[in-house]
Amino acid sequence: MSHLVTWRQAAVWAAFIIGMLLLPEMVSKGTLRTVIMACYLAIFAMSWDFLSGRTGYISFGHPFLIGIGAYATAILNVRFDVSPWVSIPSAVVITMIASTLFILPALRIRGSYFALVTLAFMELMYQLVQVIRPDLTGGTRGMSGLEGLTRGAVQGFYWAFVWMAVVAFFLWLLTRTRLGAAQAAIGMDEGAVSGSGLNTVKLKLFTFVVSAAVAGLGGALYAHYIGSVAPRALFDINFVFTIIVAALIGGAGTIWGPMMGAFFLTFLLEYLRPWLPGAERYLIYGGVALLLYMYQPKGLTEIFAKLRAGVAR
Amino acid sequence: MTAILELDRMVKRFGGLTATNEFSAAVEQGESLGLIGPNGAGKTTIFSLIMGDHRLTEGAIRLKGQAVQDMAVHERIKCGVARTYQVPRPFSEMSVAENIRVGLTPDSLMDMIFRRPDPSRELALAESVGFEAADLDRLPAELSMGDLRKLELARTLATGAEVVLLDEVFAGLTVGEIAQVSALINEKRAEGVTFVIVSHDLKALEPLIDRAVGMVQGTKVIEGAYGDVMADETLRAAYLGT
Amino acid sequence: MLQILIQGLMLSGLYALIAVGFTLIFSVGRVLNLGYGAYLLVGGYVFFWVSQQMGAPKLIGVATAVAVGAAFGLAKHRLIVKPLKGQTVPVEIATLILAVVTQAAIVLIFGDSAKILHSIVPGVWRSGSISVSYSILAATIVSWLVFIGLWLFVTRTHAGRAMQAVSMDMKGAAISGVSPDRINMLTWGISGGLGALAGVFFASYTQLAPGMWVGPLIIAVAVVIVGGIGSIWGTLIVAHVIGFLEVISTSLIAPELRGVFTMVLIIAVLIISPKGLFGREELH
Repeated sequence: MSHLVTWRQAAVWAAFIIGMLLLPEMVSKGTLRTVIMACYLAIFAMSWDFLSGRTGYISFGHPFLIGIGAYATAILNVRFDVSPWVSIPSAVVITMIASTLFILPALRIRGSYFALVTLAFMELMYQLVQVIRPDLTGGTRGMSGLEGLTRGAVQGFYWAFVWMAVVAFFLWLLTRTRLGAAQAAIGMDEGAVSGSGLNTVKLKLFTFVVSAAVAGLGGALYAHYIGSVAPRALFDINFVFTIIVAALIGGAGTIWGPMMGAFFLTFLLEYLRPWLPGAERYLIYGGVALLLYMYQPKGLTEIFAKLRAGVAR
Repeated sequence: MTAILELDRMVKRFGGLTATNEFSAAVEQGESLGLIGPNGAGKTTIFSLIMGDHRLTEGAIRLKGQAVQDMAVHERIKCGVARTYQVPRPFSEMSVAENIRVGLTPDSLMDMIFRRPDPSRELALAESVGFEAADLDRLPAELSMGDLRKLELARTLATGAEVVLLDEVFAGLTVGEIAQVSALINEKRAEGVTFVIVSHDLKALEPLIDRAVGMVQGTKVIEGAYGDVMADETLRAAYLGT
Repeated sequence: MLQILIQGLMLSGLYALIAVGFTLIFSVGRVLNLGYGAYLLVGGYVFFWVSQQMGAPKLIGVATAVAVGAAFGLAKHRLIVKPLKGQTVPVEIATLILAVVTQAAIVLIFGDSAKILHSIVPGVWRSGSISVSYSILAATIVSWLVFIGLWLFVTRTHAGRAMQAVSMDMKGAAISGVSPDRINMLTWGISGGLGALAGVFFASYTQLAPGMWVGPLIIAVAVVIVGGIGSIWGTLIVAHVIGFLEVISTSLIAPELRGVFTMVLIIAVLIISPKGLFGREELH
């Protein structure tokens, strides 16, 4: 690891970024809106993957973190007229604090129990936002009228894309350090990591809080983009499903993977819309995801790598 | 003569089952102690208790005079003790160098993020257990059982352990590999590392230890020179009986 | 007061019925079947189709639902659990995906809107201010029968004892001549059938809707978390704790707080004992 990246990797990344920046010139507004959704999904998927894809601690309730971020900024912005430039950073901090409070008891538990607890957390949040202070949270109907940060699809796209790139870069830097190695090691054999003298509780807490910060940021930005929050739209198992599938289809444990998966899924859904307008899309969508997961658990990145190797040969 | 590792009337119960019963022993600095007993005698449990993988029900464990029984695993490792596992547990998707790197990683988030790993120390450790520079990039799946044991020993030593607990260190090794690993242990003994060794292969174990403790059903039955321990009636009966 | 007691008993019976199939898989196969809710969905809709749309007798509807649920469970074992070699995380994710696929399939066949299921046993039993529908009474009785049946099966039959052996130790069971694979398959089948049965009663208790699988899954999850990998009786006890907690909180405190206490209970139990109240410390 004397050099962080090879020239070829750097070239691919540069080409990707330039291509994305020129995108508004090349595609329609409608497509651009789809890309925006994909960018946000990519942020959520990267957040999930940073925790679950790397350490093997599966979060089945990731939307509870996203939802805290979204609700925090919505309440500050709509109810207290706080500017988004203040409410969004506050939402990130609130998500980090809340996640710490939630996760401290859950750090002792492992494997399936952890997955169950995250699922329970999501359900708890779903119930709580409707019951506690409905005058603040908007109860069952949620809230609307969040101040938008951008005007039109082009601006919205640049904003979403830049954030996705920043998150990707930041997480990528982290995973390249020894911290990243230790996280991956937890995913392989947690007992052997503590047997190597590392405090796995501290590592897991840090990983969880970083993942929460990204989720909270994504949730807050997303809430301002669509302008509203609602309990069933956020704390929903279908949402969990979309996030997890995006990360897995792309390839868990990588940075490319969740992003690629998010774009693939968003466009798949979009292109299926003319033929299957309703929830049936999930049938195809889930079917594809299931088959892919069963037969290529490492996802699209692996398939591409194999294809490239095939071509090279 | 101060003991570096002192086990003081350790008791461990799992529900109604007593796995370790009033077990006491002391290991001197630089000494090598063999732990001998039939299957199910609770040898691995002793290691798990020392490391903190299981919590002690009663009794005390002292490392260099400091009580460690209430510490977490990583804190005990900081005090200078580490173990290998009966079935090696390498990080399966990491190379030899990366496995050793995890052992060398300081337990501080800031250091993990901002300080670079030190490849020269990784190489030095790998070489000290008999790997070559070319082996550094190999994955655990490509290694023989002997190499896996060496890798685990390197990762254990990387934590800076002064007391190393070796669990069934010869299981699954060829005769040549046994000789290799034995030589390695002797080399480390000469450097002052303290060992506690569990092995079914008594022939290989004998030349590596200064002293032995015999145990049956979680209880110590005898302690002394290897020959005396093996002559013990209770231990012999337990070996024959099972 | 009596109303609370009766309602509590009824709801708990239903919850126990919902949870038992889920716990069964968790203790025998050691994996969480996050697609468990799909059995309830399949059970409810098969019953709806056979009894309400085809007009067959209700008993046949229930029997078909159970049979389809069991077949679904077996198929899941054969097509998902076995190929993934029973690895915990992949199985959990794959079953969750399957549940969403099942939901989509239901929408495709039956449409998106909720359906009202006719009561399985029509009528309401009244006494003074207390009223209990026969349907939920039937659910409670069926739930108790299932528990007694399951207990007899596990303790008295060869297959049941083998199931217990597998739940305690996979390798040990394999050595003693029990095929863990066969037992696992059997368990998945039984679990599917029980889930479908619970689905019929749950749907008649609330309504039949494509999204109705999540609620019961959460309940089953709560029972497993609080109970740990427990016995059949552990499940029954915890189902009652949760059922009564819910009835008491809705009728005495605030109806909106229905699920909150259940979730708080889960979190509290985990803080106190990470393996649940009835979980066992495992020997390695």
